[in-house]
Amino acid sequence: MEESTIYIIAELRKGSITQEAYELVSFARAIGKGKSPVFLLLGKNIQEQAAEMARKTGCDTIALSGEHLDHYNTLSYAQALAEILREKAAAWVCLPHTSMGYDLAPRLAVLLQAACITGVQSCVDGSLSRAAYSGKFVEEIVPTTPRVVVTVLPGAFQPCEETTGPTGKVKSKDVASTELPSQTLGTQESVHRDSALKDAEVIVSGGRGLGNKENISLVKKLAAVFPRSAIGASRSACDLGWFERKHQLGTTGQTVSPKLYIACGISGAFQHVSGIRGSQTIVAINTDIHAPIFQVAHYGIVEDLTLFIPILIEELSSN
Amino acid sequence: MKILVCIKQVADSSDTVQIDVRTGHLFYAANTAFRVNRFDEFALEEALLIKEKLAGTSVDALSVGPERVSATLQRAMGMGADHGIHILDRADGYRSPFTIASLIATRVAVSKYDLILTGVMAEDTMASQTGQLIAALLDLPCATSVIQEEIRPERAEILVQREIEGGSRETVQLKMPAVLTIQPGINSPRYPSFSKVMRARTYAQELIKAEDLATEEPRELCRRVRVPEATSQGVLIEGSAREKARKLISILHEKALLS
Repeated sequence: MEESTIYIIAELRKGSITQEAYELVSFARAIGKGKSPVFLLLGKNIQEQAAEMARKTGCDTIALSGEHLDHYNTLSYAQALAEILREKAAAWVCLPHTSMGYDLAPRLAVLLQAACITGVQSCVDGSLSRAAYSGKFVEEIVPTTPRVVVTVLPGAFQPCEETTGPTGKVKSKDVASTELPSQTLGTQESVHRDSALKDAEVIVSGGRGLGNKENISLVKKLAAVFPRSAIGASRSACDLGWFERKHQLGTTGQTVSPKLYIACGISGAFQHVSGIRGSQTIVAINTDIHAPIFQVAHYGIVEDLTLFIPILIEELSSN
Repeated sequence: MKILVCIKQVADSSDTVQIDVRTGHLFYAANTAFRVNRFDEFALEEALLIKEKLAGTSVDALSVGPERVSATLQRAMGMGADHGIHILDRADGYRSPFTIASLIATRVAVSKYDLILTGVMAEDTMASQTGQLIAALLDLPCATSVIQEEIRPERAEILVQREIEGGSRETVQLKMPAVLTIQPGINSPRYPSFSKVMRARTYAQELIKAEDLATEEPRELCRRVRVPEATSQGVLIEGSAREKARKLISILHEKALLS
């Protein structure tokens, strides 16, 4: 059987290579037992970025260029990638588990007759581990096809170190555009931004575990005890209408890095955690000891919020 | 306009989901309550909103699973779906998104839907694959994480906004038929009245046996399910609630996080 080649599909955001591309190098080395992966980069005028990747990682890089690849689009990206990857009888194709990665991976898998495994966190002797039930369980998945498409959770692997060795080879390929039933017209910046979150030293945030809308006052009162504080929220608490959208933290919200982050009733799905990982000290208060937030918290408190927060406020005030 | 909404039945709480130590797979305890995957409720609501806006629109709800799944379809019909399609799949253990998607795609290929909607992911398996796989298997365009949509029936087109990192939005134009996976927050799913759900009990559901549908071979297997290793470097603060509060405050003092 042909030896597997490992490909990484790097993502560009505002013209720069995202951190996840370097994390995927570490993942690729783990599954490939040290063997170097090959980068695939798509876009318009991407020679500079391709050269940067090859230099920083020492990995060979293929730049697929085309006017129509400027914005991400499922069909145009899948078509360009499948053309190259189809030639390989065996291959691992690795993407970040981002809005691009999970959008593209299943399409690519069907085109390549490959297994598709998403949200991977780690790999142990031939199996890929992924979380289920918000992190309460871990599934160990084993692909049974020679070609495999994987998305890896952002932050699950450390980014690779910059190499001092030889730079990777850069190959360029122009991709012609064809008429497709889907077209990406453009991207708009978020309108929901709370600048207070960026500058806050302390962020107190609430999630679905608050139980009801009335309990958000607990989050507000706790935040009010700290000077230079701001209020954050999980996506599901915003979806429920408990908090305004501008308070949302995580993948589809803001990314913050305060000195102190206090998560109240937040389960800690990776989408939330990826937005708060940079906090210096994370305190989690939750009734469920199995909540994944306790995996990232520096200090965990298993208590009922409605009882505990008033006591904490009282103690803080008398301090 | 014909719309299909794919909905998944999930356990109401993970507390009643356990690992069978013999097989290494998950099972539901006898007292498990089931409900509709929250993400799919947003998809169903969006379909019903389109139906209210565009005259002549019908909404079918489809679900894959054992007998109990018919209660989920009943609720969907109580919310306002016109027709329920139950792909009866009694198989135990791991069912990959690919297997489920290929069952759905085989059934859907015979009906002509203009739009297929589903939630961005399932709360239990969190794979974010089924909608995209259905689209790919049927060779239809697809947009994921859709937070806004606008149908242009005269041009057989749909314009959507996808929510991407940092809350930014990507605008995509798709030719119909198309598949959309719906992001929560796009709408506020309605609560069907008790009487509507009860009435929906009398509505017929189309029942298809999974084994009667030609599907593709699975491409991966689940070796086992386990609980995560405790990788936390963190400290669990012990004591009574007041002791915990005091210990936390003294830690925050030490770290100069309190002024």
